[in-house]
Amino acid sequence: MPTLLAVFDQPVSAAEAAQRLKSRGYTDMEIYSPAAFRELEEVLDEKPSRVRLFTLIGGLTGLVTGYAMTIWMANDWPIMLGGKPFSSIPPYTIIGFELTILFGGLLTALGLFVVGGLPSMRLDPVYDARFSAEDFGIAVRCRDRDVSEIDALLRSHGAREVTLVES
Amino acid sequence: MTPPSQAQAVAGMIRRPPAPPDSRINRDILSVMEGASLGYWLLLLAAVVMVHVAGGIWVYQVYKGLGIAGYVHPVFWGAYIVTFVFWVGIAHAGTLISAILYLFRAKWRNAINRSAEAMTVFAVLTAAQFLGIHVGRIWKSYFILPYPNQRGLWVNFKSPLLWDTFAISTYATISAVFFYVGLIPDLAIARDRAVGWRKLLYTVLAMGWQGKSSQWKAHSRTVLHLSGLATPLVLSVHSVVSWDFAMSIVPGWHATIFGPYFVAGAIFSGFAMVLTMMIPVRRIFGLEEYITDYHFENMSRFLLLTSIIVGYAYVSEYFTAWYSGAEAEQSAFWLRAFGPYWVSTWVMILCNAVFPQILWFKKARTHIPTLFVLSVLINIGMWFERYVIIITGLSREYDPAAWGIYTPSWPELGIVAGSFAFFCMFFLIFIKIFPVIAIAEVKELAIHEKAHMDERIHGAWAEE
Repeated sequence: MPTLLAVFDQPVSAAEAAQRLKSRGYTDMEIYSPAAFRELEEVLDEKPSRVRLFTLIGGLTGLVTGYAMTIWMANDWPIMLGGKPFSSIPPYTIIGFELTILFGGLLTALGLFVVGGLPSMRLDPVYDARFSAEDFGIAVRCRDRDVSEIDALLRSHGAREVTLVES
Repeated sequence: MTPPSQAQAVAGMIRRPPAPPDSRINRDILSVMEGASLGYWLLLLAAVVMVHVAGGIWVYQVYKGLGIAGYVHPVFWGAYIVTFVFWVGIAHAGTLISAILYLFRAKWRNAINRSAEAMTVFAVLTAAQFLGIHVGRIWKSYFILPYPNQRGLWVNFKSPLLWDTFAISTYATISAVFFYVGLIPDLAIARDRAVGWRKLLYTVLAMGWQGKSSQWKAHSRTVLHLSGLATPLVLSVHSVVSWDFAMSIVPGWHATIFGPYFVAGAIFSGFAMVLTMMIPVRRIFGLEEYITDYHFENMSRFLLLTSIIVGYAYVSEYFTAWYSGAEAEQSAFWLRAFGPYWVSTWVMILCNAVFPQILWFKKARTHIPTLFVLSVLINIGMWFERYVIIITGLSREYDPAAWGIYTPSWPELGIVAGSFAFFCMFFLIFIKIFPVIAIAEVKELAIHEKAHMDERIHGAWAEE
C-alpha cells in the first residue's frame, strides 16, 4: 500500500488536514510533531489518554502497600514504642503518602512507555529529522486509487510538499 | 520574513522561502553540547580532583571512625547533617519549577526547567550521600531499610528518620523519572542530529521517540500527572526533613512552624542555586535569547517572596519562644542571637532576610551581577541557617552542665567542600551531554508565536 507523506508548517493546518482526512474515512494515518500541540493530539484519539489509568492503579497500590507494610511489620514483632498503638495510623500515613507518590509516579512513567509505544526498536520509514526540527508530518496509508484525492486534499490544506512513499 | 508587495500578494505568487533543513532553536541549544573549551576541562578536572580528595577523607574517616569529626557531647549532629539538609533544600527548586509552575501554566518556566530539574537530581544524590557519611558505619547503613532478616526485626516506622528515608528515596526516584520523561523528546532531537558515540547514546536513551501524536498525547498526560504527584511530594519532602528536628523536644527544634519554614527555605535556596548556576551558563554559552532577563526577574520575585516567608519564620520563632514562657526555649533563642554561635545567626539573618529585600527594586531584579552576588550570599546564608538550627539547638539543651561547643573539624569541612565539587561535576557533565533547555517546550511557544505572526501579516494584507 502506498503511503503519502505531507509536510506542514503549522500545527493548525496539519490538524485541519488530518481532521478532514478522518472525516473522509482515511483513518490509517500517523501525525508527527516537533512539540506537543493539543489540536494534533486530539485528532486521531479524542478520548483522554490511558496513562491516567496507570497513575490511578499505581497510586492506589502504593497507598495500600504503605499502610499494609507498616501495620504488618509493627505487629509481626510487636515492640511498644512511646506508648503508641502498634497499628498507629498517623505516622504510617507518611509512609502511605510517600509510597502513593512513588508507585503512582513509576507507573505513570510505565504508562508513557506502554501507551506511547516506547521503546520502539526502529523508526518509521517515513520519519524524518525535519519532524524534530519545526515541521509537521502526516503520513497516510491508502489504496492506489485514493492517492490523487488525498494528495489534493493535503495540498489544499497548506501542505508544503507531499511525497509518495512506497512501503 | 519580508512582507511581499501588494502586487505579488494579489497575484497569488507568494512563495515561502524553502524551509531550512533544521530549526534555529535546535542549533542554538544543541550547540551548547558541542566541543569544550580549555576552561571547561580545567573546571571539570578541578571538580573531579576535589571529589577524589573528599572521597579520600571519607575513607580516612571510615578507617579512623567518627571521632575525627568535631563532635563534642552533646552535639552529635554536625556539618554532615547541616549539609544534608542544605542539599535537600537545593533540590526543591527543580520540582517546584517543573511541577508547580507547570500546573499554573507559567510558560516562562520553559527556559529554566531542564537545568533546574537536573540540579534537583544531582542535589538529591549529593544529599543522600550525607546520610551514609553521617552514620559512620557505612557498612551497616542498609539497616534503615525494611528488609527481611534472620532476626525477624523490622524498622521503626514511628521514627522521623524512617519517614525521611522514604521521603528522600521517593523524591530521588520521582525527580529522576520527571527529568528523564521531560528529556525524551529532546533526546530524539539530539539523536536525529548527532554522529558517532553520541548517536548511539541518544538512540538508546530516546527509545525510538518519533513525536507521533499518540506519543505526545501520552507524554502530555504523563507530565501532567507527574506534576500532580510531585507537587505534594515537594511540599512533603522538606516537611518530613524538618520533622527530623521538630519531632524531638530539643529547645529551638520543637516547633510546629518547622514544616512551612523549611519548605519556604528550601525553595528560597533552590532558586538561589538555579540563579548561581544559570547566570554563568547563560553568559558562557550565549543563551540570552532563551533565558532572558525576564526569567531571572521572575526567579528573583520568587526569591523575594520566600525570603519574606523565611524572615517571618525567624521572627515568629522568637515570638513563640517569648510567648511560650518556657525558660529553656527562651534561653535557646537568646543564646542563638547572642551566644557562642552569634556570628552564624547574624550571617543567616542578613543573607536570608535582609539582603534579599533589595529585590523590591526593579533595578536590582534586572541587574544580573547584583542577582548573582545575592544568589551566592543566599546560598551561604541558607547553609548557615541549617547550621544555626542544628548546632545551637543541640549545644545548649536543658541541662547547662551538659552544654558543649561544636566546631566542624577539617575532615568534615573537606567532605562538605567535596559535596559542592560533586554537584558541580555532575552539572558540568550534564551541560555537555543533555540539552540545557527543554527544546521541544521552547519550540511549542515559538511555533505558536510564528502562527500568530502569520495571521497578523495575512490579516494586514486582507485589510489592504
